[in-house]
Amino acid sequence: MSRGAEAERVPAGYRVGDWEVGAPIADGGWGWVYEGRGVRGTTDDHPAVVALKFLPTSGLAPQQARGLLECAHREREFGRRARHPRLIRVHDSLVLNEPAHPELDGAIVLVMERAERSLRQLLGGEAGLADGQTERILTQICEGLAHLHDLGWVHGDLKPDNILLMADGSVRLSDFGLASELDGTHGTHAWMPPLGTPDYLPPERWKAPLGERGVQARPSADIWALGIMIHQMFTGGISPFPGATPAARGAAAQEYAGGQAPLRLDPAVPPFWRDLATDCLAPTHEARSACTAGALLARIGAETPGGGKAVARANGDRRRRRVVLGAAAATALCAATVAGWVYVADDNSATRKDPVHADNVSDTAGPAPITVYNVEPTCRAHAADRDQQCSLGLAIDPLAPYTVANVVATRVWHGDVLTAQCRLPQGLPVTDEFGTRSTEWYRVRLPGGAADSTAWFPAVRTKDRPALPTCR
Amino acid sequence: MSGVLIHVPQDPPLTLRLGAGEVARFGRGSDTVAVELRLDDPAVSRLAGEIRVSEDHWLLSNLSATQSYLVENPEGAGEYLRVPPRRLGAPIPFEFARVVLPTRDRVVSFQVFAPDHVYLDPQGAVGGRPGTQTLTAYSLDETATYFLVLVALCEPRLRDESALAVPTTPEIVERLRQLPQCARLTARGVSAHIDYLAEEKLRIVLPESRDAGRGARRNGKREALVGIALRFGVVGESHLGLLPSRSAASCGGAQAVGR
Repeated sequence: MSRGAEAERVPAGYRVGDWEVGAPIADGGWGWVYEGRGVRGTTDDHPAVVALKFLPTSGLAPQQARGLLECAHREREFGRRARHPRLIRVHDSLVLNEPAHPELDGAIVLVMERAERSLRQLLGGEAGLADGQTERILTQICEGLAHLHDLGWVHGDLKPDNILLMADGSVRLSDFGLASELDGTHGTHAWMPPLGTPDYLPPERWKAPLGERGVQARPSADIWALGIMIHQMFTGGISPFPGATPAARGAAAQEYAGGQAPLRLDPAVPPFWRDLATDCLAPTHEARSACTAGALLARIGAETPGGGKAVARANGDRRRRRVVLGAAAATALCAATVAGWVYVADDNSATRKDPVHADNVSDTAGPAPITVYNVEPTCRAHAADRDQQCSLGLAIDPLAPYTVANVVATRVWHGDVLTAQCRLPQGLPVTDEFGTRSTEWYRVRLPGGAADSTAWFPAVRTKDRPALPTCR
Repeated sequence: MSGVLIHVPQDPPLTLRLGAGEVARFGRGSDTVAVELRLDDPAVSRLAGEIRVSEDHWLLSNLSATQSYLVENPEGAGEYLRVPPRRLGAPIPFEFARVVLPTRDRVVSFQVFAPDHVYLDPQGAVGGRPGTQTLTAYSLDETATYFLVLVALCEPRLRDESALAVPTTPEIVERLRQLPQCARLTARGVSAHIDYLAEEKLRIVLPESRDAGRGARRNGKREALVGIALRFGVVGESHLGLLPSRSAASCGGAQAVGR
């Protein structure tokens, strides 16, 4: 029987474990969702009404069934390990043994919390969103995402269809079929099957290579999807990228990422959310990686009255993070997207000294050459191309937040040799993409510039450690 | 969305990659007329036309005042489009295209590949709205020759004959030639299809090759291609039906011997 048949797949009244199948709720890429009613007493782990997600394996080639099982396993595993009020709860999972119903035999059933509807349904509805509802939903999505990323997981398929709204109006992230755990060694990326929803894929994914373990997924991909959704929430579901088809919008996102077109957000998006969406939609992974879900949440908390609770919770959850964020510094954090450096806002960063000026330097030792080192292997391999996405910036003031205003126009690439004049051991801390952190900076002569034009280069961007006088 | 690939079969061959929204002009060129694709033939205008990447396809502008250009689909059994003089931005629907410019004595042509064409997943749900469905990010045209080559590569593994064997290029040529659309398939063609699949369609990253041996590297690519295609369900048992049936093949062989 065809999997696409419109006929009722699961007969009403069918018993799955302790639940009786009711009305159909949704048809997803992976299977069908039905309402389930408990036939036993109600407990916390055994509510009266649940959603039953059927993932059929019949009619599939062994390879495909294996892939589906893998996805179901991910989802179940994920549900077991990542409990949070913003993530849909998976109560139970079962495998059906129904030799008499070939279509159901071997199907995996996930027993999940029953949501009222999806964000997609809300966006597609006739009625507009109530006052403050948009902001509240976005904040709660951010909370879920911050929790997910803190646990070291990437959602991988974040979109309005996978954001569910409960009867009390609260938000749950769902569909963790693609969610994957970040790689243990570096914690910078995860691997997932080459699947995605075109409208929510970050530009780099369209060119991502495919390896034995799938494609690389990084938390910054979820941040991009969040940026698209922020725009959609204020515009009734319109993507920030123009085009009639997903392919056209994907191409428009590519053009934007390639620097051929600016980001044109709808004026309906209020200024605060516009800034947030702009940071989420930074064109490269590097630029986006500074803008974490935690940092976004802190910005929302600082902006929204009464949002402090969310921020406090987000900060309390920050156990496994290598980078600790402070709420006050979060704006600077997201603004630090120019070179993709993550700035660590230590408590002592508030007690900042006066800016270091280039003229306060001892001339006792001569300058030394340092070679620029880019931790991204692809940028090292293609250093000769001098791709804008692989360029690194130089700061004007190593004690000031790394914002657009604090970057010189000259860019440098992997392999460039710069002349370092002196070192500053205690500048603003810089963490590279792999988590290496240093407070040390070098004052360098600007390549191609006049002899007296200088800028500041963070020591994490080179492997050289020349003996240099301290900048005074 | 990696754009299109243009290949001019001249000496030395010229390959140009255009990203989303990018433009390349073609023609004979001169000191004052810069062209990205130089076609050295006196019958071709200095500025003969323009290729622009748009969404998942490309647009051809014919800047000649008098000549029509032909765009052929080399896999389409004679499918072609005629782009009349002065036509701007004609959309080209073929994944593989050969642009032919009329000249007096020889054919001036170049190829344009558009690997970004998107297909709905074969096992995708019917219920979802297009555009919000989760799709395989690497979609293949199941009617294209490259797909037949991929199925042939995966055949031994799909039939559980061997977990290791990947057919060689001559074996694939042999296997596919019985199909009418592959009657003229050559070993070089098969190699080109394998390269296109690995580099443009699936964008496979190969494990670092230890040895610079050319043969060894090519085999690594085939095995990676088969492994990934099967692992992510790009090719399945249902696709074996696209290949010529084996019994018919042996039957044909017997007839040939009998004659």
